[in-house]
Amino acid sequence: MTATLIRTLLALGMLSLAVLAGVAIGETPIDPLVVLQVLANKLWGAGYALNPIDEGIVWNYRLTRALVAAACGAGLATCGVILQSLLRNPLAEPYLLGISAGASTGAVLVALLGVGAGLLTLSAGAFVGAMTAFALVVLLARVSGTSGGAGQIILAGIAGSQLFNAMTAFLITKSASSEQARGILFWLLGNLSGVRWPSVWLAVPVAVAGLVVCLWHRRALDAFTFGVDSAASLGIAVRRVQLVLIGCAALVTAVMVSIVGSIGFVGLVIPHAARLMLGTGHSRLLPASALGGALFLIAADVLSRTLIKGQVIPVGVITALVGAPVFALILIGRRNAR
Amino acid sequence: MLLPRLTALFTSLGLCAFAEAAPTQYPLTIDNCGTPLTFAHAPTRAVTIGQAGTEMLYALGLGNKVAATSLWFNDVLPAYKTQNDKVERLANNEPSFEAVIGKRPELVTVEFEWMVGPQGAVGTREQFHELKIATYLLPSDCEGKDNRVGADGTRLEPFRIDTIYKSIEQLAQIFDVQDRGEQWVTELKAKLAASVAKVQQKGVKQASALVWFSSTDMNVDPFVAGHKGIPDFMLSTLGVRNVVDSDEEWPTVGWETIAKANPTFLVIARMDRRRFPADDHEKKLAFLRSDPVTRNMDAVKHNRIIIVDAMALQASARMFDGLEQLATAIDGYDLPK
Repeated sequence: MTATLIRTLLALGMLSLAVLAGVAIGETPIDPLVVLQVLANKLWGAGYALNPIDEGIVWNYRLTRALVAAACGAGLATCGVILQSLLRNPLAEPYLLGISAGASTGAVLVALLGVGAGLLTLSAGAFVGAMTAFALVVLLARVSGTSGGAGQIILAGIAGSQLFNAMTAFLITKSASSEQARGILFWLLGNLSGVRWPSVWLAVPVAVAGLVVCLWHRRALDAFTFGVDSAASLGIAVRRVQLVLIGCAALVTAVMVSIVGSIGFVGLVIPHAARLMLGTGHSRLLPASALGGALFLIAADVLSRTLIKGQVIPVGVITALVGAPVFALILIGRRNAR
Repeated sequence: MLLPRLTALFTSLGLCAFAEAAPTQYPLTIDNCGTPLTFAHAPTRAVTIGQAGTEMLYALGLGNKVAATSLWFNDVLPAYKTQNDKVERLANNEPSFEAVIGKRPELVTVEFEWMVGPQGAVGTREQFHELKIATYLLPSDCEGKDNRVGADGTRLEPFRIDTIYKSIEQLAQIFDVQDRGEQWVTELKAKLAASVAKVQQKGVKQASALVWFSSTDMNVDPFVAGHKGIPDFMLSTLGVRNVVDSDEEWPTVGWETIAKANPTFLVIARMDRRRFPADDHEKKLAFLRSDPVTRNMDAVKHNRIIIVDAMALQASARMFDGLEQLATAIDGYDLPK
C-alpha cells in the first residue's frame, strides 16, 4: 500500500514538474522568477506587482496549454491501452474508430459551408462529426458481424475513416480557397494555441474520468488480453465491458480531438512503450501510460513553440518527429535487455 | 482588317479625341511576368479573375469591354455598381476554365498567379495562349514574389508600389486609353503623398503596428501581415514598423509573441466573408477587449484599433483609400512624439 502511495506521489511530482517546465518555456522569454511570482499571486494571492501582460501570458496562455496538453496526452494514451487490449491488435489506436476522420469532416462543414450558421464553433462541429462517425462505425460493425469480434470493428473503422476522409477532401476541393484550406489543415494537424481555461475544465475531468473508468475495469482488461472466450469463461460480461470501454474511449478521444485537433502518435506508441517497460498488468499499465502520455505531450508542445523562433509548429508534427525515434530506441533497448 | 476595328474602337470610346498621351501603336508587345504578350488591336472582350483587376478596368472607363467577372472578395465599389450590374458574374470564387473561354475573351486579367500559374486553379497561361487568349497577370502578384513557395506565395523582395501603377499603365496601354491611365496614376500618387505628409506633420516616432486579417478559431494563433507584403508596405510608407518579421504573405503568429511586442496600434480587417469566426471584425474587437492578455496591450487600452477594409490591404487601387484611412487615424491619436 505504501509502495502504491509513493508511486502515486512520484507520478504527481513528475507531472507538476513537467507542467512547470511547460509554463516556464514559451514563445517569448519570461524570467523564471516572474513565472513563479505569477503562480504565487494566483494560487496564494501573494500580491507581487507584475506586468499584467506577463501575468496573463503565464496564467492564461501557458498554464492552460500545459494542463490541456497533459490531459490530452493522458486521455489519448489511456484510450490506446484500452483499444489495444480489447481488440487484441497492436495497431489499434484512438483514431481507429473513425473519430479523427469524422472530426475533420465536422470541422470542415462548419468552417467552409457555414453549417450551424455561426452558432457552432470548429470544436463543436468536430465533436459532432466525431460522434457521428463513431456511431456509423459501430453500426456497421454490428450489422456486418455476428460475434461482435475485434476484427469486425477494426474493418468497420477503416471503412468509416476512408469515407469521412474522402468527404473532407471533397469539401475542401469544392469550396475552399488555398488560404482557408491551410487554416483547416493546420487545425487538423493538432494545435494547442487556442486553449484557455474553459478547455482545461473540459479536458482534465474527461481525462481523469476516463482513467478511473478504465482502472475500474482493469481486471476485465487483463482477462481480455487472453481473448474474448477466456474473458467470458472467467465470468466477465464480455458484451457489456466491450460496450462501456469502447464507448468511453470514443467519448474521451472525441472530446480531445474537438479541443486540439487530431494529434497522432501518442495513443498508438505510449501504451506500447509503457507495456515494454512495465509488462501487461493493467493496474500499472494504465496509470503509467496516462503519465507517459501527459509528459510526452507537454514536452512536444514546448518543442513546438521553441523550435522555430516566432512561429509555432503543429504539435502533431512534433509528436511523430520526436516520438518515432524515441520509440525505436525503446524497441532496440528491449531486444538488447533480453 | 486592323483599321476599321480601330476606328470603331475610337468612336465607341469617344475618349481618344481628347487624348493627351500618344495613342497606342499596334501591334503592341509587352512583357508580363516573364511572358511576352502581343496585341494586334485593343481587346474588345475581357474576362476578369479577381476583383482588383475588375475594378481597375471599371476605373479606366472600360466597363463595356468586360464580358464577365469572377473571384470577388467584397461588394463592388459603389461608384461602379451600375456598371457592374450589367456584367455577368461567372463565379464568386475561381471560375472553371471552360466558363472563361466560353465568353470568347481576347484578354483575361488575373489578380493572383495561383489562378493561372503552373498549377493554375482555373487553367495554365499556356492553355489560354494556345487558344489565342492573352492573360494579363497583375504585376503586383508576380514581380519579386515566388508563388511556388508557401500557401499564399512568398515575397523575395518587399512589395513595390510601382507594380500597381504599372498594371494601370499597361492595361491603359493595351486598351489604348493611356491618357485616362496617366491621369488616374497621377491622382493615386497625389493621394499617397497626402497620406504620407499627414503622418509626417504629426511627427510620430517609433510607432509600431500589427495587421490582423483573420483566425481559424477565436483564440488560436491569428493570420497576420508578414513584413514584405502590401500591409507592411502601407505601414512603412507611413513610417510605422510592422512587429511581424516573417517573409510569408500571411503567417500565423502566437498572441504571446504579439502581446510582448506590444505594438502602438492594431489594424484589423473588415470583410464580408464569414467562414472563420474571426472574419467578423466585431468579434476581433470583442476578443481583443476581453482576452486577459490582449486587453492589457497598449493599443487596446488606449483604443488605438483601426478597422480597414480587407480589399484595401491587397494590391488594388483601394489600397490608397486604406493608406488615407490609416493616416487619418494615426493623425487623430495622442501618440508620444
